[in-house]
Amino acid sequence: MTDAPSTIAERSADMLARATPTTIAVRVRGLSDRAIAWLFITPTIALLLAINIFPLIWAVYLSFTNFRANRPNAEVEGVGLRNYQRVLNDPDIWIAMQTTAHFVFWTILLQMIIGFALAYLIDRKFRGHAFWTTVILIPMMLSPAVVGNFWRFLYQPQIGLFNYIVSFFTGIPPSSFEMLGSVTLAPWAIIIVDTWMWAPYVMLICLAGLRSIPDYIYEAAEVDRASAWRQFWSITVPMALPFIMLAVLFRGIENFKMFDMVMLLTGGGPGSTTEVASITLKREAFESWLTGRSSAFAIILFVAVFGLANIYVKALNKVKQR
Amino acid sequence: MSEVVLHRIGKTFGDTVAVEDLSLTIRDGEFVVLLGPTGAGKTTSLRLIAGLERPDCGRVTIAGRDVGRQSPAERDVAFVFQQYSLYPHLSVYDNLAFPLRSPARRLNSDEIDRRVREVARMVRIEHKLQSRSTRLSGGEMQRVAIGRALVRRPAIYLMDEPLSSLDAKLRAELRLELKRIQKELGSTLLYVTHDQVEAMTMADRIGILSEGRLVQIGTPREIYADPANLHVAARLGQPHINLLPTDLLPGAAPPSGASAIGARTEHLEIATDAQGNAEVDWIEHLGDQNHLHIRVRGHKLVTLADPYLSIKPGDRINLTLRQPLYFGSDGERLR
Repeated sequence: MTDAPSTIAERSADMLARATPTTIAVRVRGLSDRAIAWLFITPTIALLLAINIFPLIWAVYLSFTNFRANRPNAEVEGVGLRNYQRVLNDPDIWIAMQTTAHFVFWTILLQMIIGFALAYLIDRKFRGHAFWTTVILIPMMLSPAVVGNFWRFLYQPQIGLFNYIVSFFTGIPPSSFEMLGSVTLAPWAIIIVDTWMWAPYVMLICLAGLRSIPDYIYEAAEVDRASAWRQFWSITVPMALPFIMLAVLFRGIENFKMFDMVMLLTGGGPGSTTEVASITLKREAFESWLTGRSSAFAIILFVAVFGLANIYVKALNKVKQR
Repeated sequence: MSEVVLHRIGKTFGDTVAVEDLSLTIRDGEFVVLLGPTGAGKTTSLRLIAGLERPDCGRVTIAGRDVGRQSPAERDVAFVFQQYSLYPHLSVYDNLAFPLRSPARRLNSDEIDRRVREVARMVRIEHKLQSRSTRLSGGEMQRVAIGRALVRRPAIYLMDEPLSSLDAKLRAELRLELKRIQKELGSTLLYVTHDQVEAMTMADRIGILSEGRLVQIGTPREIYADPANLHVAARLGQPHINLLPTDLLPGAAPPSGASAIGARTEHLEIATDAQGNAEVDWIEHLGDQNHLHIRVRGHKLVTLADPYLSIKPGDRINLTLRQPLYFGSDGERLR
């Protein structure tokens, strides 16, 4: 460190140091500001390394070996890229990826439509809108374990409320279909629950977007004779778009790794119709105990999500800068 | 023919009276400025004409039709907001074309293009037509906002302190331009400001608002020279009008009941005199003129003086009144 502080951060640290009461100044004498800064952030960095970075690097290492966690004493051999080759050539894994894509697409579409519609209605600022906002947010605040078990009861063919309501409106006998047991219905059962739980989250983000649009823009448009329809498409949507895109990003990343809800509701069944990537991964890792191979799979998933998210964030920034 | 008439308008927000018993006629082709401090009800008056607020009582007519039940779109008005109310994701061109693209207007794209370019020339923004509106400077944004009002030929243009967020130089430029454009188009314009210079330079008539009431309306000359009361007199004139006791200076002929004299620069005669009744406290040099701070028996006055007048702080001068304004104890003018 030189004597003349150069950056603003250093300069303000310098000012702070000078303003520090003498007792503390004496106690830390001999330490530069830079050293004190490091002292403060070291615990965080250490924790991050221990619980995030190290396991990641360890998984990368394991993905190149034939290590099996249920045989810790067996000799570990390097296998090069064979794990990756196997994963990418495994048809079951590609089916799981397809199932995941299907889930991600439909949950995002439904959550965006419902979430945005709710936000648009709540933003009308009618009487008691704050109360309704809270009510709508309740599903999102529940634990996924509670939600999963709760919906298992709702979907129960004989006593479940869901089947009863469907039969009430359509006349189809309630015990004639099983939401969680049918090959065609089970994926939709999960999509419905995920949408019920997370549409409020999308609503919250969209609401922030809608609230950021100043009233006078709408007033100007009204004086300019723009219809409500035109105001919606030429003001509301473009100005809320960065927020909507942000919601898509958050929900997309979350649902790409969707595990808890599927595990609780169907466990991947019936057959493997709802077996998303994370369920396959769990099976490979903790049922087949193919630790090396499942590590390779995990790395592939990570790179895929990371890559997609990056491309998406670039697009988001472009929209924001307009 | 697009005369706009407000007849006994009243509007309250909760317990706050924004506008009270306001009657005002803006004649066809007239430039009227509403002048008043913050909270006087200027903006509310504009919004009531535009239909962005509904009056509690009273009637608004535009070109003879009662617009009480009409929406802002139906009223055929153009509004320039104090904030830069541009559509941020659109280019300057699209912002200017926005009102013309309303389906209610049915203009073809050649006509729209012609009018957008014409207006862009008027507000001197034609070199930035393809820029995004968020990439403009404050002055450019407000020129676009004014332009977006001008592309239309509404019954009346309503402008809510459109120049207040601009720097002094730009404000002076746009002031001239706005007056020129209004004359050129022969349009009817109601303009709201708290800046007396804008009011004096642009208005055909000035309306002085105070606490939701119209105190006086008249030509800038009338309002300045012949104010109805102390409030109006205090709004105009730079430096501020001096309020003095009736017996402080010679030259006054106060009518009975007068409790104060209002004296602006033109009401004060200065003569250098070592035995004079006043002492020069301080002189502010503004270049083309001087602000003279004077003390007369404990009362302080400010007036303008010729920069070549050879006096300095501490000198004594003789002050005489010349046909000053007289006010009663209720603040009303006495003639």
